[in-house]
Amino acid sequence: MKWLTKTIRREQRALERARRRFVRKPNERRLHDVRTTGRRFLSLLEDVAGISELERLRRRVKRAAAATDAARDATIILRLLESSVDGAEGSFAHPLLDRLCEQERIATRTACKELRRMRFDS
Amino acid sequence: MKAGRVDLDGVDDVRELVERVVATRLREAHALTSGLDRRDKQGLHDFRIACKRLRYALERFAALDQSLEAIAERLAALQDALGEAHDRDMLLAILPAAMTATQRRLRADREACVDRAVANWTELKQLMQALDSHQI
Repeated sequence: MKWLTKTIRREQRALERARRRFVRKPNERRLHDVRTTGRRFLSLLEDVAGISELERLRRRVKRAAAATDAARDATIILRLLESSVDGAEGSFAHPLLDRLCEQERIATRTACKELRRMRFDS
Repeated sequence: MKAGRVDLDGVDDVRELVERVVATRLREAHALTSGLDRRDKQGLHDFRIACKRLRYALERFAALDQSLEAIAERLAALQDALGEAHDRDMLLAILPAAMTATQRRLRADREACVDRAVANWTELKQLMQALDSHQI
């Protein structure tokens, strides 16, 4: 099925591009891109698992997508907390904000380290 | 929640591939709608993941059948609402007990997100009747 082969290659290239951009200069936008590109590609590989012999690639893509989970969670929760703290409760929120900032920094660095070792262009 | 395997035995045509994948992912989403009724954290999360798989499939196949695009767009809105509810659940789980006013605000926002998701799903069910009867 030509369409399927072309689609897999296209999504594989898209993930590799997003991965390279993220490891070159990690930021929130690029984290989101590499994460969604990976999730989309994983979903395609799961959909066609019955006719496509790409189990090793599927496992690699799954690992790549999972590598960004902690960084994404910390970023989202941090932004949400910043935007929803009640004015009178700011002092209670500070320790949690500091903790989330630290988690975001460490998780982004870990995701970058893991994704640096992966390749999707072969 | 693990994605179910799509039965692709004997499929050698892209049209049939689309039908089987969409039918499987649609069935999975329907099977988890009770999470939306219960409004609990895990139920909503599982339903959101199933909707995401269906949406990704529809977006991918919209290049072959444009009628799928409108449903994928509505699913994206549903997924946004469920995602925002999930984010609030995650924050509520770690919020200090003393932050009662913030908790109240987050809970109210969360319920509004779930209400939005329920409204989206009600609209989607009508749109998806075409998929149920495999008219793709």
